[in-house]
Amino acid sequence: MTRRALWTLPPLLLVAGFFVYPLTLTALQSGGAWTRVATSPEFGRTVLRTLEIAVCATIGCLLLGTFFALVLTYAPFPGARAVARLIDTVLAFPSYLIALAFTVLYGSAGVVDGLGIATLDFIYTPAGLVFAEITFYTPFVMRPLLAAFGQVPPAQLEVAASLGARPWRVVRQVLLPEALPALAAGGGLTLLLTLNEFGLVLFIGAKDVTTLPMLVYTKGLVTFDQAGAAVAAVAQVALSLTVYSLYRRVAR
Amino acid sequence: MLIWTRRGRAALRTAFAALFALVILAPLAVVVLAAFARSWNGVLPGAYTTGHLRESLTDDRLAALLVSLQTALAAGLLAVLVGTWGALAVASAPRLLARVADTLLHLPIAVSSVVVGLSMLVAFNKPPLLLGGTRWIVIAAHTVLVTAFAYSTVSAALKRLDPAYAQVAGSLGAAPPRVLFRIVLPLLMPAMSAAAALSIALSLGEVGATIMVYPPDWRTLPVGVFTLTDRGRVFPAAALTLTLLATALVTLTGLGRLGRRPGAR
Amino acid sequence: MTSTLTPVPATAVEAPAIGWDGVSVRYGDAHALRDLTLDVARGETVALLGPSGSGKSTALKAVAGFVRPTSGRVLLGGRDVTGEPPHRRGVGVVVQSYALFPHMKVEDNVAFGLRARRLPRAEVAARVTEMLAMVGMTAHRGKLPRELSGGQQQRIAIARALAIRPPVLLLDEPLSALDARLRQDMLDELRRLRGELPDTAIVYVTHDQTEALVLADRIAIMRDARLVDVGPADELYHRPPSAFTAEFLGGANLIPAEAVAGGARVGDRTVPAAHSAVASGPALLCVRPHALTVEVPGPDGLPGRVTAVQWRGSGYRLEVALDCGATVSADLPALTGVPAAGEPAAVRVGAACVVAREEP
Repeated sequence: MTRRALWTLPPLLLVAGFFVYPLTLTALQSGGAWTRVATSPEFGRTVLRTLEIAVCATIGCLLLGTFFALVLTYAPFPGARAVARLIDTVLAFPSYLIALAFTVLYGSAGVVDGLGIATLDFIYTPAGLVFAEITFYTPFVMRPLLAAFGQVPPAQLEVAASLGARPWRVVRQVLLPEALPALAAGGGLTLLLTLNEFGLVLFIGAKDVTTLPMLVYTKGLVTFDQAGAAVAAVAQVALSLTVYSLYRRVAR
Repeated sequence: MLIWTRRGRAALRTAFAALFALVILAPLAVVVLAAFARSWNGVLPGAYTTGHLRESLTDDRLAALLVSLQTALAAGLLAVLVGTWGALAVASAPRLLARVADTLLHLPIAVSSVVVGLSMLVAFNKPPLLLGGTRWIVIAAHTVLVTAFAYSTVSAALKRLDPAYAQVAGSLGAAPPRVLFRIVLPLLMPAMSAAAALSIALSLGEVGATIMVYPPDWRTLPVGVFTLTDRGRVFPAAALTLTLLATALVTLTGLGRLGRRPGAR
Repeated sequence: MTSTLTPVPATAVEAPAIGWDGVSVRYGDAHALRDLTLDVARGETVALLGPSGSGKSTALKAVAGFVRPTSGRVLLGGRDVTGEPPHRRGVGVVVQSYALFPHMKVEDNVAFGLRARRLPRAEVAARVTEMLAMVGMTAHRGKLPRELSGGQQQRIAIARALAIRPPVLLLDEPLSALDARLRQDMLDELRRLRGELPDTAIVYVTHDQTEALVLADRIAIMRDARLVDVGPADELYHRPPSAFTAEFLGGANLIPAEAVAGGARVGDRTVPAAHSAVASGPALLCVRPHALTVEVPGPDGLPGRVTAVQWRGSGYRLEVALDCGATVSADLPALTGVPAAGEPAAVRVGAACVVAREEP
């Protein structure tokens, strides 16, 4: 019993030494700066903006991902499997890929501008960031949903139809309720990842759109205010852990 | 079985094609096209060049690629080792300890990479462990970030593994180490190679923690891409990203060959 | 068909409740159903009986609208519904797995079809109560499907299908997920229900001949995606038109024989038969296991040797290798003296009939 328990020690020590210990030091370092940073209007705005972008992006991903997964499962076409495999691949891509594409397309010297279509610097607005995050994170919702739809017995949909339910009613009353755990898990993960998203925000480099991870970066590296960065980091971790604990609860 | 009419299915497929092309495919295609673009003022690039790609294999950019590759392989290897060890240990640990350990090992998934970077900076620029300014702080940060994913992958596979295999092996007289090395680990091989692939892919693309901690002599490729993008040189940045994706593809394909075992699912 | 007849008043000739008109279903190169033509009248119960892969489920799904025929027409009450989606057909369906909606309470499952039809709330409630009473599940209306036993789930699936008062009820292997004892109870239950639905046409898909014999007015035997024989249950049983039907319905022994007037010749013996589908030439003598008796060798009966004896509680099953080359099974009551395996014996044939040999 105790010998078995000892086997967990090496990995736990590594996590403690390289993850928990640094985070603890960071939290301690934030101590003196809380009143200064946390009461500034900039900080409040940033927290709200972070939440706003993450929530909007997650809702977008859920809508789009559900639609995509529905079509792939119930109106499959030649090549649907290749699409599903592409989805799996995209999951491992770095998010800044999307930022790069958006810069090429909609950037201040981008392709769409060059075509004479005014983009009004769309990607440098919160909405632009939301759009970029939807593009990147939709596959994260699709994957659990595809698995969940695959497990709903076809007979249930058939019987529902035979009872007189049109497709839309079957989706709302049979399919989505049964896929609810997958929907919650996918949505929870996406909310967590969009809250934590940094690469996309950094690469787009919108001056007026600051999120908490971006604040950690600017305070820590650009203005060398490590205590201030630590405050932002602690706030970020608190936000992430709240969402994460909810996610763990719905995902099992 | 849900959409009964051909017209309904056709309409849905059309909507899917349009949305999917716009949202998922277009950005990927744009990056590929941009990597080869000399100029781009119309719908498609005006003139093409392989110059950006060739440039991305010279001097400091090639060095960045090698740095990224070494970091990813080191972090990936450590992640699979620690992750597999953790999964096996948690599976046989007493209940309460198992729950705590499971939570702790998963936890880095929940934390933003940039926060992990900052905390590394805070903790390892002073004794007892001085890593700041060396390549080790980059590798440590990457390892922390990807180990959670490796652990998650392997422990999920271990939970699905029928305990009867190990029990039967034990009943045939195999001692625990023999059961571990001859039965359990070979059966976990597909999951371990999947974990390695995921870890390496994530590490190759990692930018949040890296940008906080990297020393001048250990610049990873994504940092290089950021520098280029920041200066508005998006075509070379796209070419460099394409090199990164190609490297990832080649590495993972090679790894996939290694990880495949006859009889493994 | 270019029929120019004046329409017949509906009261004079009633259109069949269900009609398959040359229905074929193909998936790529695989034929799931070939050219099925069959009618089911109002109030009639027809069993589609056949082994797995015989096309019986596909035939049912074509009526429900779950599969689209590659060719042919499906008619409901004379109306061509071939291209219509299931939700416009108004057909009640009960499937093998029941397919109860797992997240809905029993009463919501039963109410599903009524709500899809946007019936007034009070009417939905009244109809749900009525249906639950009909299947004896009133006490369970607030439960979730997973809290019910297999037999209870079965009742709810039936109540849900009947709630929409369908003119046509399709049952796809409804008892095959139940254990043997429960199956017998549910069979009685289904017989009772059928009595309460005098106007409903029922199609009952099964691979179990007992279920078909107990429930059906007519049985349609299917094999390899084709309809083999169709007819009233007792007629098919007592006078099988084909060897396949004889074997599948009642597990008849088929002994190669020569058809002669009033019976068949097996080796040098002539066996009388009550019914003959072939007048002369090569044929099969078909005898059910319980119509055989096994005796000590003598001048009567077909000579052979016992190869195996199985005790089955209610009696014995003997395998006898006949001298003519065929092997037959015989069921003997428990109290009779039974020869041991290896002993020579004579098989005496009771009720028998003659059918044509199958083309190879």
